[in-house]
Amino acid sequence: MEAAAGLKDDCEALLSRFQEMDSVRFEDFTELWRSMKFGTIFCGRMRNLEKNTFTKEALTSAWRYFLPPYTFQIRVGALYLLYGLYNTQLCQPKQKIRVALKDWDEILKFQQDLINAQHFDAAYIFRRLRLDRAFHFTAMPKLLSYRMKKKIQRTEITEEFKDPNDRVMKLITSDVLEEMMNVHDHYQRMKHVISADKSNPEKSLNLIKDDFFDNIKNIVLEHQQWHKDRKNPPLKLKVKGGEEKSERNSQQSERCERAESLAKIKSKAFSVVVQASKSRRHRQVKVDFSDSESSQVQTKTTRKRRNKETLKPAGRKVSSRDRGDMQNLHKEDNSLSLSMPVVAEEDEENESFSETEFTAPKRRRKQRTKS
Amino acid sequence: MAEDSRGDSACGGMDGRQDPVPSSGGFNFPEYELPELNTHAFHVAAFGELWRGRLRGEGDLSLKEPLAPALPGAGGVSDSGSEDAAVARDLGCSLETAAELRAVCGLDKLKCLEEGEDPEVIPENTDLVTLGVRKRLLKHREETLTIDRACRQETFAYEMESHAIGKKPENSADMIEEGELILSVNIFYPVIFHKHKEHKPYQTVLVLGSQKLTELRDSICCVSDLQIGGEFSNAPDQAPENISKDLYKSAFFYFEGTFYNDKRYPECRDLSRTIIEWSESHDRGYGKFQTAKMEDFTFNDLYIKVGFPYLYCHQGDCEHVVVITDIRLVHHDDCLDKTLYPLLIKKHWLWTRKCFVCKMFTARWVTNNDSFAPQDPCFFCDVCFRMLHYDAEGNKLGEFLAYPYVDPGTFN
Repeated sequence: MEAAAGLKDDCEALLSRFQEMDSVRFEDFTELWRSMKFGTIFCGRMRNLEKNTFTKEALTSAWRYFLPPYTFQIRVGALYLLYGLYNTQLCQPKQKIRVALKDWDEILKFQQDLINAQHFDAAYIFRRLRLDRAFHFTAMPKLLSYRMKKKIQRTEITEEFKDPNDRVMKLITSDVLEEMMNVHDHYQRMKHVISADKSNPEKSLNLIKDDFFDNIKNIVLEHQQWHKDRKNPPLKLKVKGGEEKSERNSQQSERCERAESLAKIKSKAFSVVVQASKSRRHRQVKVDFSDSESSQVQTKTTRKRRNKETLKPAGRKVSSRDRGDMQNLHKEDNSLSLSMPVVAEEDEENESFSETEFTAPKRRRKQRTKS
Repeated sequence: MAEDSRGDSACGGMDGRQDPVPSSGGFNFPEYELPELNTHAFHVAAFGELWRGRLRGEGDLSLKEPLAPALPGAGGVSDSGSEDAAVARDLGCSLETAAELRAVCGLDKLKCLEEGEDPEVIPENTDLVTLGVRKRLLKHREETLTIDRACRQETFAYEMESHAIGKKPENSADMIEEGELILSVNIFYPVIFHKHKEHKPYQTVLVLGSQKLTELRDSICCVSDLQIGGEFSNAPDQAPENISKDLYKSAFFYFEGTFYNDKRYPECRDLSRTIIEWSESHDRGYGKFQTAKMEDFTFNDLYIKVGFPYLYCHQGDCEHVVVITDIRLVHHDDCLDKTLYPLLIKKHWLWTRKCFVCKMFTARWVTNNDSFAPQDPCFFCDVCFRMLHYDAEGNKLGEFLAYPYVDPGTFN
């Protein structure tokens, strides 16, 4: 329905502007609300039946943003939006907000988080809605009537309102690092134990890098820092939400740094490749020499086509915000000279060689099974 | 009204995502089985108890009118004072903060229209997409329609939806209890027309969890119940004697592998027996079907899937698809009179067939092989039928076959 599409646009416009304000205060929200004159969304001589359906639709649209996986700020914004819509609606008696059983515990947890973080206005608003009995406590979020539509409409999640999907962070977690460290130690010890000459430690141990894990940790921390700097300039932290916000940000920046560092190390590794032997000439790995940002963009398309067998770093999702900061990225990349093929120095080649050794065969194997 | 965190209660699978969940017998948390289509089966009363357990003692279940918030500046000082104390207690903040909150979060902060501005008029220079769409629609209506008002069907639909809202019973014993469940049931019409391929017409009934299945059965108005069998051209006055509803009283509901047969009257037969025998005769891949008595079960006792089609069968072969679309707790704005349930809130508007002669009254007779009629079959209202086919003394004129006709739109 057209009205539904329009509602989605309006809600998202309001919420994205609220997100830009970087605040969770109700006063800021009401400023936005009044400036957009959002309360007039019910105007326009709707007759009773249409008013009812439209209001139900509006509340359902706003409700979606109140549940995970949206960010904390968006969820608070959605709570304010629900409060605004519920109180400015023209239906008599008021249309209610549907809450499914499976979501209620999550919401109570959210309410408790609000109280703990001393966001009193948000907590007050939720309490007010509950006291006004604005909720219908239901089995499922919407009415299910087994309509066999040709295409089941999937609810699309607005990407900008989610936390950015940090694939690197999901890959290198502290658990993974710890485990790798343990494996490394264990391996070394085992090698020592089984080596024939006790005084002379096993030569093959020279192949592995001892400071591998410290490097990874540092790189990942750098990545997080980069992520944090990539975002909008630091927020005006109000007293009430101050501690919570800074906590969240430092957590995020840590993760971002780590993720970033890891991405860097990967792109560094993959920018140098081993010359394939004659028999495997047809499977020579090529590296794309454009800058790493666009090479990552290309990752998606090449993966789809699977014609070139190029080793690419794992692509980050290039959201619209990234484009604005491409300048920064270029500078940083140039400083590490990732985009240009690395001129082989003695130890660097060994480094990257060993890394490629580890990872390249695995990649090749993967691709072989794929094709 | 402390809000203790119940986030750590032991109930899994509540992240709101819609992955298909295998149905487990005792797991009464409604979750999607097929995303966006239907849930897995759960016990209705247990589900109700899960909600009531979470809301007990918080005032959410109460059916009395809620108290309006004390307005900032208006009202007695004592009102706002005690309210601030409650706020301070619940949120763990100071009294000054509570008073400040009441001011900051007041409803006046949400006002977008100035005094004197009509809420019906769309304001100029608005950014909202919805309003742009609506403006175009209104303009179009102004240009194309002579009179812009609700048609009969719209008024009818709205009336059906809202006629019982907020009704309180005269007798307080008929008041619905707190925490009662209301099920919303779609009952589809039995006819299968090609034009209904995409949207089959249905009626929606609200039924209480504590009501028996037989009460729902009695509330379903199907035209096949009123059919009168027999040819009555020779004795038109004897017609409305035996309607099918009185003759064939058997019926059953089918929910989740169990056939609930109506056994209230001695004439009722077990219609489901044929089906059960058929399924057991060969290995047809259906599980073991059960039978039960309809009058022994309430909706609270059932295991059902929300959004899944079930069956209601009566008159031997008149089958209605039944879908339970929603289950929720009763709210103080609902109709609170138990005697009005099962409550019909949505009905498909059916155009009635009119008499061929006068084109005014609904047809009550249909004739075949009629020498007086221009078409076969032909429909007549009672008056025109008698005037055309019988003389003043009531003797039959000409040759014809006449059957009483009940129009599906009779229930409008």
